[in-house]
Amino acid sequence: MSNIKIYTIMFVVLMVFSTTQALVEMTGLLEQAYWVAFGAIMVLSSIKAVIVAGWYQHLRWEPRSVTYLAASALLVVVALTTAAAYSIL
Amino acid sequence: MSEHGEGGHLPPKSTVTRWLVTTNHKDIGILYIVTALFFLVAGGVLALLIRVQMWTPGGTILSGMGYNQIVSIHGLLMVFWFISPFAFGLANYVVPLQMGAEDLAFPRLNAVSYWVYLASGLLAVVSFFLGSSFQGGWTLYAPLNVPTFIPSVAQIGSAAAILAATLFVASVTVSSVNFLTTMYRMRAPGLRMRDLPIFSVSIVLTVWMMLFAFAALLGALVILSADHILGTTYFTNEAGGALLWTHLFWFFGHPEVYIVFFPALGIMAETFQTFSGKRLVGRKWFILAMILVALQSFVVWMHHMFLTGINLEVKTIFMATTIGISLPFDLMMFSLIYTMIKGRVRYTVPFLFNLGAVILFIVGGITGVFLGAVVLDYQFRGTYWVVAHFHYVMVGGATAMFGGLYYWFPKIVGKMYDRKLGLAHFGTYFVGFNLLYFPMFVVWDTPRRVFEYSEGFTFWHRVATVGAFLLAGSFLIFFYNLAKSIHSGDPAPDNPWEYGSAIEWSIPSPPPIENFPKGLPSYTSGRLEFLDDEEVATRSSGAEPTPAAHADGGTATDGGTVSASTALAQAPETSMETAHVEEAHADHASWWPFALGIASFVTFLGLAGLQWEYFLWPGLFAVAFFVAFIGIVGARRDGYSPIHSLFVLLAIGGIMAILQLLAIDKGGLDAAIAGASPYFYVTTLGAFLGAGTLVSMGWESFQSPEPALAEQWPFSKVGKWKLGMWVFLASDIVLFGAFIGSYLFMRVANGWNDWHHLIPEEHVVLPGLINTYFLLASSFAVVMALEAAKRTDRRKLLGWLAATFALGVGFLINKGLEWQHLFNLHGGAFEGGWGITTNIASSTFYLTTGLHGAHVIVGLLITLFLIARAWKGAYMGEEAAGTVEYFGLYWHFVDIVWLFLFPLFYIV
Repeated sequence: MSNIKIYTIMFVVLMVFSTTQALVEMTGLLEQAYWVAFGAIMVLSSIKAVIVAGWYQHLRWEPRSVTYLAASALLVVVALTTAAAYSIL
Repeated sequence: MSEHGEGGHLPPKSTVTRWLVTTNHKDIGILYIVTALFFLVAGGVLALLIRVQMWTPGGTILSGMGYNQIVSIHGLLMVFWFISPFAFGLANYVVPLQMGAEDLAFPRLNAVSYWVYLASGLLAVVSFFLGSSFQGGWTLYAPLNVPTFIPSVAQIGSAAAILAATLFVASVTVSSVNFLTTMYRMRAPGLRMRDLPIFSVSIVLTVWMMLFAFAALLGALVILSADHILGTTYFTNEAGGALLWTHLFWFFGHPEVYIVFFPALGIMAETFQTFSGKRLVGRKWFILAMILVALQSFVVWMHHMFLTGINLEVKTIFMATTIGISLPFDLMMFSLIYTMIKGRVRYTVPFLFNLGAVILFIVGGITGVFLGAVVLDYQFRGTYWVVAHFHYVMVGGATAMFGGLYYWFPKIVGKMYDRKLGLAHFGTYFVGFNLLYFPMFVVWDTPRRVFEYSEGFTFWHRVATVGAFLLAGSFLIFFYNLAKSIHSGDPAPDNPWEYGSAIEWSIPSPPPIENFPKGLPSYTSGRLEFLDDEEVATRSSGAEPTPAAHADGGTATDGGTVSASTALAQAPETSMETAHVEEAHADHASWWPFALGIASFVTFLGLAGLQWEYFLWPGLFAVAFFVAFIGIVGARRDGYSPIHSLFVLLAIGGIMAILQLLAIDKGGLDAAIAGASPYFYVTTLGAFLGAGTLVSMGWESFQSPEPALAEQWPFSKVGKWKLGMWVFLASDIVLFGAFIGSYLFMRVANGWNDWHHLIPEEHVVLPGLINTYFLLASSFAVVMALEAAKRTDRRKLLGWLAATFALGVGFLINKGLEWQHLFNLHGGAFEGGWGITTNIASSTFYLTTGLHGAHVIVGLLITLFLIARAWKGAYMGEEAAGTVEYFGLYWHFVDIVWLFLFPLFYIV
């Protein structure tokens, strides 16, 4: 498959996922089951981020070390946020 | 005579111009060292004032406000503008030599780092002269760091000090990207990471910590600056504002201790093995211990918060991690001591300073363990125990660095230092140090940050004051020694130390401009050798090495002799991608980094006093200036074409429109002019200079070729520009992470679901969804532009870049409309509008999405730059399309950030 075709398919998937996220709120699911809806929305965002990073930023084709570099930064902020939030629970 | 013949375009060192334009790592290293020593003197004079004030309980010569300023700025100057920059002066000079590189990966950015560092330090000093400087202590604890709790006379000076720290962090980030890219892309062939000389190992680990820790601090400082300039309410929020600051600050602050200390450790290890004539005992374990500390440094920060309201469980966890981090240090200290015992010590001046540093650090380290225990910390926190411990560690580290300067002085200057003066320096320094700081342990119950203390402590405080003056006096000997030795010291040989083992001791003192006159350093044979151009060309083309075609450097790395089999196993990982040996000649001079230093100083000075009503306008002018410069500089550099006129016309139209809007906003242009403070004009002038400088830098032809042969694990297939961009993005992930983390923290602190009461009904999903569509479509346009560039389709490249620009502008317009709507709500719970200062929810929303919007604006300006260049035929073909790809990495990252901002700020 050509690059252009892959980029286009990914673009469509990204738009559909984004619309789905908004629909979760608009259909009232957030009011009915907040944390389930919250989880679904954040998982969709994560998938979208992986698609953009993997295909548009070409991480799929880069050496793994580049992914580890970005992932280590992500780990740092997750550690900070989680521990800080936990400290006041 | 200029050094053009040596390969640079540099005036001689005796001219001032040389030091303003140089991008060479050795020159920049010297500039860092000299500037850091200047800030040491500035911070040191403040320290003497503190000690004079402490001569008697209740103080002597300073007012309360004066004392608070001096304590605060002393801490900031020493921690930010002296210690780390001093270490990085040495690192700038030495690390490229030790790893076999002719310069850093991005020499101009290295110069930018330096000039921005100098600008930031001068701004910190200038803050004293803007009424009054910051008074809330070097830790800038909330709420004393926000305007509400700062005396009116100190508002501008405090903002200047905070902005100075912000600017300093920007410099550190640029430097971190540069060092990491260099150290992973430009090592001598055969030189594995683990075989780097121990000082370089300490630097690479330091830079990793800097990359992440300073990004968190940048987040904290940008938020704090917003609290000052825009009126956001983060740190005044009663539910968690003060705690948020301590979390963000100490998440940076504790790694910062190791950021300061690791280079010192590297120097200790380096000098111990050189002057013991013995390879570092347990070298592998020493390195592993450093790696462990670097990782652990990010999970100990809450031991600075035992007296805050965080829960007991988390205190207990962080007590365990804090005690745990002391263990690898034990291993390192034992390694140093055993190296000394097993070897035959020569008590040179550098060694004495480093031996002294070990002793001081052991005292500082042991006394720090007390503070890691929750119960003891309840007693010691806020006393002089902390002051004494902290100075034994930090100034202990600086002690090793002074030794480091003596160690590399012959290499840097080409002259030997005066040994007798050096010994006198050490004697007075060591005695002065201990007279100053040890009494603080004795009278540890003295309260910190104030000059009131028990009458019974007077004697010990006077001893400390005498020690302070003795310590200060030792620096007079130091500076006299340096000056005398530079002027008339004995000539230094290539290797003045019998057992110096790293590459720098195999080249002349001082080294020539491109470092290695005997050829490219290589360790592929198992020992250091220098490959001539012919041999490099042969190996670059993939042919077998010719054994005779090199000069023997005569040393192994301090990691030991690399075995031949190891070297052969390494060969496939050595990049052969750049076979243009010396075809592209390296440049060493540019005026633009210096200009950017001036522009950043002017801009940040202006921002310090800018009224929030005028905050937006210099930014808008900056955008218009940038567009105008693209037209003007582009026409000059690439040759005129109609697109350049279009840019200039756009800019002129933009400036007219901005003036019109300003007039409408302020009730007429005269009123706008009358209402603007001088700081508005200073900021706008800075924006003008900055825009012109950045555009000119973008067009400047500046060659900094990668080495023809280099060890590049684990990034051998990632070019330096791409790696540099990814490293920068890693720091940007932490920056945005700090913002998003702050939002989540404040939401937890204020009650997750109660948060909805702080947000108006009119804040709906749709604008966010539309902006998501805009950004996703723009990301798609960028990858399509990249494809077009690779296929050398200029028209499509321009078309997709234009689409990217249009979609980005669409994003901003949509955001502007949304914000305008929310600012002007009528009726309901937010009558009068939901503005940036309304509550913590609005502050987090506008500031976080605003930071993201600022990233979009930067991306759009780069897009315009790319369009102007592509119009004239740039970026065509697989290789040249790289620039579009690197820009795309940034743009997609901005897109990814939005993918999380959208649900967090619009849906949940």
